[in-house]
Amino acid sequence: MLNIDAKYRNILPPLIGVALVFLLALLAPFITGHDPVHMSISERMAPPSMEHLLGQDNYGRDIFSRLLYGARVSIAVALFSALSAGILGITIGIIGGYFGGIAELITVRLADIILSFPPILLALLIVTILGPGVETLGLVLTILYMPGYARVAYGETLSMRQLEFVEAARALGSPTWRILALTILPNILGPLIVQFSLTVSSAVLIESGLSFLGLGVVPPDPSWGLMIREARAYMVYTPMPLLWPCIALTITVLAVNSLCDALRDFYDPRAVSTNFLANLAKTLIYAPIAKDYSQIDAQKAESALLSTSGLRTEFVTPKGRIRASNDVSFTVAPGETVALVGESGSGKTITGLSVLGLVPEPLGKMTSGQVALRSKSDEIICIEELDDEGLQQVRGDEIAMVFQEPMSSLNPVYPVGEQIAESLRYHRKISRPQALLTAVDLLESVGISDPAKRIKDYPHQMSGGMQQRVMIAMALSCSPSLIIADEPTTALDVTIQAQILELLRNIRNQENRSFGMLFITHNLGVVAEIADRVLVMYCGRIVESGPVSNLFRSPAHPYTKGLLASIPHIDHSSGDRQPLYAIPGTVPALDELPPGCAFAPRCNLAIEACVQELPELEVVGDGHWSRCPRWRELRG
Amino acid sequence: MWRYIIKRVFIALMLVFVVTSIVFLVIHLIPGDPAMLLLSGGGVDPAPEVVDAMRRRLGLDLPIWTQYINYVTGILQGDFGTSFQDDHPVAEEIAKRLPRTIELILAATALSILIGVPLGILAALQHGKYVDRTLALGAGLMLSVPVFVTGTLMVLLFAQELRWVPAGGFVAFSRDPVQHLIFLLMPAATIAIGFSAAIFRMTRTTVLETLKRDWVRTARAKGLPRSVVIRRHVVRNAMGPVMTVIGLQMGTLLGGTVLVEYVFNWPGLSGFLVVAVESRDYPEVQGIILVISFLFIMLNLLVDLLYSVLDPRIRLE
Amino acid sequence: MSEKITSLFDGLNRRQVLKTGMVAGATALMPGFIGRAKAKTPGLVVFGLSSYPPGFKPWENKGTASTTVKVQQYRGLLGYGADGQPRAELAASWKVLAGDKFQFNLRKNAYFHNGEKVTSKDVKATYEAMAAKDSTARLRSRMAAIKMIETPDDNTVIITLNAPDVTFIDIAASPHCGIVSGKALAADPKNFVGAGPYKIVNIERGSRIELEAFDKYYKAGFPKTKKLRFDAFKDENLRVAALEAGDVDIIEYLPWQAMDSVGKNTRLKMDVVNGPFMYVVFNFSKGPFQNPKLRQAVGYAIKREDVIAAAFYGRGNVLGGIPLQESSPFYDTKYQNRWSYDPDKAKSLMKEAGHANGFSATLLSTAQYGMHKNTAEVVQQNLAAIGINVKLNLPDWAKRVSIGNQGQYDFAVMGSAGDFNDPDALTKFMDGSLAASYARSYGFKDARISELFAKGRQEANFEKRKVLYAELQQRALDLAPVIPINWRAQGYGYQNYLSGFTNIPGFLTFFSGMVIENIEIG
Repeated sequence: MLNIDAKYRNILPPLIGVALVFLLALLAPFITGHDPVHMSISERMAPPSMEHLLGQDNYGRDIFSRLLYGARVSIAVALFSALSAGILGITIGIIGGYFGGIAELITVRLADIILSFPPILLALLIVTILGPGVETLGLVLTILYMPGYARVAYGETLSMRQLEFVEAARALGSPTWRILALTILPNILGPLIVQFSLTVSSAVLIESGLSFLGLGVVPPDPSWGLMIREARAYMVYTPMPLLWPCIALTITVLAVNSLCDALRDFYDPRAVSTNFLANLAKTLIYAPIAKDYSQIDAQKAESALLSTSGLRTEFVTPKGRIRASNDVSFTVAPGETVALVGESGSGKTITGLSVLGLVPEPLGKMTSGQVALRSKSDEIICIEELDDEGLQQVRGDEIAMVFQEPMSSLNPVYPVGEQIAESLRYHRKISRPQALLTAVDLLESVGISDPAKRIKDYPHQMSGGMQQRVMIAMALSCSPSLIIADEPTTALDVTIQAQILELLRNIRNQENRSFGMLFITHNLGVVAEIADRVLVMYCGRIVESGPVSNLFRSPAHPYTKGLLASIPHIDHSSGDRQPLYAIPGTVPALDELPPGCAFAPRCNLAIEACVQELPELEVVGDGHWSRCPRWRELRG
Repeated sequence: MWRYIIKRVFIALMLVFVVTSIVFLVIHLIPGDPAMLLLSGGGVDPAPEVVDAMRRRLGLDLPIWTQYINYVTGILQGDFGTSFQDDHPVAEEIAKRLPRTIELILAATALSILIGVPLGILAALQHGKYVDRTLALGAGLMLSVPVFVTGTLMVLLFAQELRWVPAGGFVAFSRDPVQHLIFLLMPAATIAIGFSAAIFRMTRTTVLETLKRDWVRTARAKGLPRSVVIRRHVVRNAMGPVMTVIGLQMGTLLGGTVLVEYVFNWPGLSGFLVVAVESRDYPEVQGIILVISFLFIMLNLLVDLLYSVLDPRIRLE
Repeated sequence: MSEKITSLFDGLNRRQVLKTGMVAGATALMPGFIGRAKAKTPGLVVFGLSSYPPGFKPWENKGTASTTVKVQQYRGLLGYGADGQPRAELAASWKVLAGDKFQFNLRKNAYFHNGEKVTSKDVKATYEAMAAKDSTARLRSRMAAIKMIETPDDNTVIITLNAPDVTFIDIAASPHCGIVSGKALAADPKNFVGAGPYKIVNIERGSRIELEAFDKYYKAGFPKTKKLRFDAFKDENLRVAALEAGDVDIIEYLPWQAMDSVGKNTRLKMDVVNGPFMYVVFNFSKGPFQNPKLRQAVGYAIKREDVIAAAFYGRGNVLGGIPLQESSPFYDTKYQNRWSYDPDKAKSLMKEAGHANGFSATLLSTAQYGMHKNTAEVVQQNLAAIGINVKLNLPDWAKRVSIGNQGQYDFAVMGSAGDFNDPDALTKFMDGSLAASYARSYGFKDARISELFAKGRQEANFEKRKVLYAELQQRALDLAPVIPINWRAQGYGYQNYLSGFTNIPGFLTFFSGMVIENIEIG
């Protein structure tokens, strides 16, 4: 029980609730000895007693037993219709989605026709034709819910049809029915189960609604809707018989609804969980921020544009707390470009975001360390001490950021000009037309032709390279002293990458735009082109830092050396690519870091001390540091 | 763009035509002879020749295909026929009742948006906190109470126990605006209970999703004040899906007000349909269904088009 | 233990607790700014109808609500007073010249709503239009039985029938026999102009009908109240709520469950009479109930008190014989109380019929009207007790009527009233010579009963009639064409400040709209 996976744990409570209702219904004859249709007119409207727990209705029938048996009717109707509609709808949907053509036309159009009636009206019409009764209800609801299943099955099948394993099954000559039933069906089951639970909930509601209108369950059979209808006649005089079925109905629908929610969360992890209790509990266990100024290198901080010291940012995950960046200290001098290099998951992006106070809360949080920034007015700002308003003034104005994916980093619903102007309007307090004029200049300065026209374009109307130029223009808008560029070229085509790098270099070299840059990348080739200094990160820590030429020439950490070796080189004499070097092993998960050097398990130089204890940063050259105790052997 | 719209409208109109034809056939299959019924009030025994006379008067003696062609021809000329019961023109009656149902839906929708959207945003921004949990729990509950239960309980409480509002009914706005709005209040509130909860949940989910988007981070990195980030880069983006849900729900309400109109005696279109079916008034039933499904289909189309306005990425092709 | 729990509940008045809780909750939710609904308005009667009338044509019967509204617009030669006796309307007086010949002397001051004077020609035109072949008039067959209409002058109408008929006076008084302007009718056969006390001035179709007094109404000083408004409340809860809240002055079909509280309410009054009755009809053309013993078994198996208690909240009286009111001169206790609750007798009858172990049958009723459905439910339980396994068929009213007319049932619950208080009204329930009707047992035909009805209708001599109807009643009990259940209380509820209204007794309760002209407010 305790070992149940967290995601199953969220399904459990509503599942138990629904199971309880089902069980009560199923076991009705054992729970109550009263016949739900047995009348005892002399005891009409009797109040609750030991014999009749909830009292008796207008005919002297036992309300409690009617509630229990009413659940049977509701659930039977709901399950039957959800199942039969499911079988029919899924069959139609899969066939339509798999074969296309006429089958597709019939599926989609048939569903369209049924869906062009508001559901309760359709139900009303059919019941009038066939007369009320449980059988009719089953049929009505089946017709009503079939298109829902058909659509889900159709859509899912359509997207499955071209997937490799379906193609493979086809190529292997499996009969079509086998592909449909054994390959496709199991894979689209998730959304269908969600659809099933939705249908059950809706069926309970429509059954009770129709019974309430006198078009559903035929008396004297108990049904909650019918009980409400009957009790309504005398509710002013005796309200309790009305309230009981109301409560039962609400609780049942509530239980099924929460099961739907839980199932949806389960099958669609992308969706935002409605089950937030677990997360909440975990956010409460953060360690307080430790303040320790002693670590700041006073001298460095004075000359540096940006200086971080002992920066630690932690994340809460289902497996516990992890340190995404740990004890990270570095500086960026005015006009200097510092590259922060590492594989994905090494903590470089988080470090960049921490500098701006943009760590995604509440799961992530910078828990200790200092970030000091020399502002344009030459004051030292301690960023980690700033409140929201203070941070807002720094962001965009003092430090700007360029992100990895320009497409998703631009808001799709505003023209790009608006988005560039926004920054100016809030930091410079200028009017919108003025800001837009400036935006035109900025676009021109990042090499976009016909900028006056392009500012009205929406992001989706631009190519990736253009979008990234817009992002850069946006970052430049308030002339920040530091730009953090987080993999600004990774998402782009190779030729575009070169253009953007070129652009960044050009801008940097302009006299009037002397800003420092923290350039985050996993691509050492790019680093060589743009950076003055390099920081290499591994598993949240800086393992080596130094001037780009020194570090490339003689790396002082086995990880750096491995990275350098894995850059593809083209042998110009033969034109052949040399076989790529790959660092053996894999990056350890952040929650399973060894106590010593995180790279030790993959390192052929590792000794016992590396495994036991975290190595300190050692000076290995002029401005060159390494966290490897065996750097001499490495170079040697 | 225009070609797409024209194509969609054409498909929608075809759908309306098919629906109307199906309804025509289906309704003529319903047991219960309208001529007989019209003459059977008060438990009397209409003579066969009288029933025949009535059938002739109603045009029910013609072959069903002739009736169908006459009907379709009439519709194309804007003639929905007249009521079997009192020869009242169906179109006129629908024209009178449709605005009432639409008014009820609009009032309920306005109320639901006013409640659901701000609370949804609030819950999303307070994600996981006490406020969020409480609101989400409340919404789950509100979604689970059937409208006829809330309606009935509201009549019991506000009209019969407290006597604050009349138990139900209708006065034309032009006659007594205040009384009209008082009558509107309870049915609209009843619908709004479930509807606002649905909007709340949709808003909450969408805002939470949007909060995770990269452009929100960009906006924050630009140093925009929190309120601006939320207003311009979260809420504005989240409204697309929320509006879609609202639009689709409003479509369902076109017929879904049946129970509410029944409980509150609101003389709208869907309540009218129940009466028309009960009295086998074929022209009325057909007319109402034609109008409701037409609106329903058009509303869905409109929602699609509106969605593309709210989100310029969606290309209509 | 059990006692303790019970006393706990006694001490704790659940209703009070509930009320307090709900009120507290509601007060927190909503400020009490919405004022109470209206109080009385002198000069205006607001009448709560049980449904919106499906039509107001003068000669068709479209139910109580329709009748109540149309008698405001249209009046016949005669009508009914509060005592249930025929009274003068357009005719100032009438004379029975012979069993088949009647003379009506019209008022000289009667006008149609279009200003024309009401003349004998209008009466002739009306009756002839009603009798026309394609007429849909409720009383078409009665009008078709007229041999001749003479109009010696503008104010005299002499009607000669094909055969003597003592009930013709009742026909002339029927609310389905309103006289309309002959000229208007000749110009447009759908244009009905009446001479009733009120004119319709505004219709909110589906919810409200507003009328104004007709200034040239033939009865001086009437209608007492100048404005009349009908508001439709299909839902009985809403109807009572509107009455209790003062939104309306008077309602029809006062629901039985509300009679206690309305009766106790000092601001309200009610007028309740035994009007229609509930009964069971059988299918004589197929199924088990062709066997009279099984019909009788049903008669003994129904616990009538239970039906009254459960379906009518104790409002009504057991009916164990011929449905004639005690006030009728043809009423005889000999033909009453034939059917009483006697399950043993019912079981032995079943045994005699060869169904000692019971059998199955389908009982038709409707879910649309609570009283029909509730009655069927109790009957089902009662019959289960003697071994008849009853399946209920509860379609909507329209389908129920259609099934009833076509005889697609084993037996059915029905509730209805005759057209007048004369025993001839029983033809509706027992005369198999008429066209099939859901109000009668399907396929029931008895030549002797039909003959007795015909003779009784033609016989002017009271004593002779009495003999005929005595035989008819006895025969009807023996053949059991229908099994009666109970008289149904039919009530109107109204505000204390309203005066002048009377619920017309007996079958005529549904015609009480005729006395709305007497209502005064204040």
